[in-house]
Amino acid sequence: MGDALGSDLISDLPQSIIESILVRLPIRDAVRTSILSSKWRYKWASITQLVFDEKCVDTCSDRDVVEKTVVKFITRFLFLHQGPIHKFQITISYLQSCPEIDQWILFLSRNDIKELVLELGEGEFLRIPSCLFKCKKLCHLELFRCELDPPPSFKGFLCLRSLNLHQVLISPEAIEALISNCPLLESLSLSYFDSLALSIRAPNLKYLYLEGEFRDICLEDTPQLVEISVAMYMTDDIAEHFEQSADCNFVKFLGGVPNLERLVGHIYFTKYLSIGNDPGCLPIMYKNLETIELNQVSFEDMKEILVVLSLITSSPNLKELQISGSSNIPSATDAPDLDFWEKCPSKCRLSQLRVVHLTDMCGVPHEMELIKFLLGSSPVLEIMTIIPCVYVVESQLKMLTELVKFRRASAKAEIVFIRE
Amino acid sequence: MSESDMAVIKPEIMQPCIWLQTSDGALQQVEQEIAMVCPLICEEVIQKGMGSSKNCAICLPQRVTPAALSLILDYCQFHQVSGRSNKERKSYDEKFIRMDTKQLCELTSAADSLQLKPLVDLTSRTLARIIEGKSPEEIRNVFNLPDDLTEEEKLEPLNNTTDDPRIRLLNRLYAKKRKELKERERLKNVEVEEEHVDDRSVDDLLSFINGNDADPKGMKSSKNKKKNRRKKEQQKSSSLKEASELNNKEINGHNIRPQTDGANGIAEASQSNTEDSTSVSREFDDGDIDVEMDPALQEKLDREVEDFARILNSDWPERMQELLSLGQERKATPFTSNENSILRRNA
Repeated sequence: MGDALGSDLISDLPQSIIESILVRLPIRDAVRTSILSSKWRYKWASITQLVFDEKCVDTCSDRDVVEKTVVKFITRFLFLHQGPIHKFQITISYLQSCPEIDQWILFLSRNDIKELVLELGEGEFLRIPSCLFKCKKLCHLELFRCELDPPPSFKGFLCLRSLNLHQVLISPEAIEALISNCPLLESLSLSYFDSLALSIRAPNLKYLYLEGEFRDICLEDTPQLVEISVAMYMTDDIAEHFEQSADCNFVKFLGGVPNLERLVGHIYFTKYLSIGNDPGCLPIMYKNLETIELNQVSFEDMKEILVVLSLITSSPNLKELQISGSSNIPSATDAPDLDFWEKCPSKCRLSQLRVVHLTDMCGVPHEMELIKFLLGSSPVLEIMTIIPCVYVVESQLKMLTELVKFRRASAKAEIVFIRE
Repeated sequence: MSESDMAVIKPEIMQPCIWLQTSDGALQQVEQEIAMVCPLICEEVIQKGMGSSKNCAICLPQRVTPAALSLILDYCQFHQVSGRSNKERKSYDEKFIRMDTKQLCELTSAADSLQLKPLVDLTSRTLARIIEGKSPEEIRNVFNLPDDLTEEEKLEPLNNTTDDPRIRLLNRLYAKKRKELKERERLKNVEVEEEHVDDRSVDDLLSFINGNDADPKGMKSSKNKKKNRRKKEQQKSSSLKEASELNNKEINGHNIRPQTDGANGIAEASQSNTEDSTSVSREFDDGDIDVEMDPALQEKLDREVEDFARILNSDWPERMQELLSLGQERKATPFTSNENSILRRNA
């Protein structure tokens, strides 16, 4: 029965629009639409994207009660749900591993789940049931604090495009097999793995994010990689392992990625790349590499500086460069191998370099030489920002004095020296 | 109509145009570049070659009103210019979307039938923002929704209708009052009893197999699983049968629970089954039978229901604790006294 003033504006819109609206509501509000009118009773029950977050039930001070309420809510929701479920996300910090989750995953595996995100609270890791591996249509998988144990009969997720494992317990063979058995994998993110030696074979991989203690990373077959971001932590174990390794890490890691567009390294990444025999002249040019960001580069280690330089000179189309020093208080103002810079190819032109950001600069000789090199080889440089390390207040004046002397290839270049 | 026509035609005398026909039969000439932003129009032009003249004007879907079309064309005209920054586009969108709800719904419908996804996303987001945080009464006002769920509404202050088993019970008992019961009862009385018995024996069997000292939680969940699955299958087969069966169990539930259920696991399962069964039967919008057979019982239930409603409406959190603890006590007794009886029954 419509109002005298107007007829129902919304209930007869096609289900795809209703879904479009309901999916943008917090899930609680979506369920509440069931009491709007008789037509709306079950509209919420066929939405295909379910996102359960901290606010989906009322909180109270007793964590157990809230957890039970959430579990009941989700279970009942799933039971009342009709139709396929394409996305299922739980991001609830007060929910811990519980037996109901296994049932939910089983239910999802029968309902064409495509995107699954499980982020539970700190505590016992959730043991993922084997029914997850039967989700044939899975495209996107994101797990936090879980234990994964693929059964031997598992042949891979054939539709998986994106895999994100954060603090997940899984054996190295299993993770390598998982990666190589997902032929469509485009984006891979692994964080907080302990002491993992990884060899990645993924012909369609475009985006790679690694964070943790990796003993070894070998990009065996990743020709399509476009973006790499690595944060490498170091333990004594790994440091020792590195001392003994003779392979050239640079080539192992960056030797097979000609399409690279963006490279980001944190913490010990540059050190990692510097280990191993000197490759000499690099075998490949990174024609598409436009952004390089290397953090915590130690300018007292000649090998690391070489790595930085090789990268820069092998990227003719580099547009943006960001380097941060390792903010260790320099032990000496003198540095060996300064004459290396004289031998540096002066005809190297960074013809596309426009923006340079340097942070945590201590003013050590190699840093200054690098700046000099950059200024002298970038004809279209627009801006260079230098932020000195906070510990070295005295040498800032010295840095500035030297900076002023450097020849600039670009008339437009602005040097911005930012002091706290 | 003609004004907008003029505005569109004048500046682009040299531009290729497309003829469009809206649901009211009126013809309109629109710059091709702008109209082609809509996938549906694009398809019509490219694949079917329509729209080049008045005679083969593209007939737009029914849901595209002239007003909506004009808004859509404005939208397309702004966004198809490539030089604009994201910020500009966003601020245009925010201004564009300011209109009354009726127009907004018409626009959503029209954009959807023209397959213009970015605009559908924009309008959906806006509609979601309108709905979010409002009380059901407010939402009904905004969209002119009929208020035809009166009983359930009474429970509205409790806010979350999917939350508690007792709300579900309340819901169903209320619904019972206003539905025709007799036909259902006549049809299903006999099968109801059989089903009921079947369930129970399977439950007992399960508990026997799993062992009574097995983890009650585990038992509960596996049983729940089985029950849920079974309920689901039954759902697909004959709806009324199940509805009545579940109802019966539940009505008898209050007083007869200790007898029908044995071990703790079953009691728990049955309680949560009640929850699920209430949800299931809600599906069929009825679930009410057997009450007529005992008017005294019905009256008692009515009174109970009203008490319930009053209690629930008054002091919610404390009452919930009370009721839950009451439920716990009831469950405890059957476990200890009937444990042996199950084994004996099955032996």
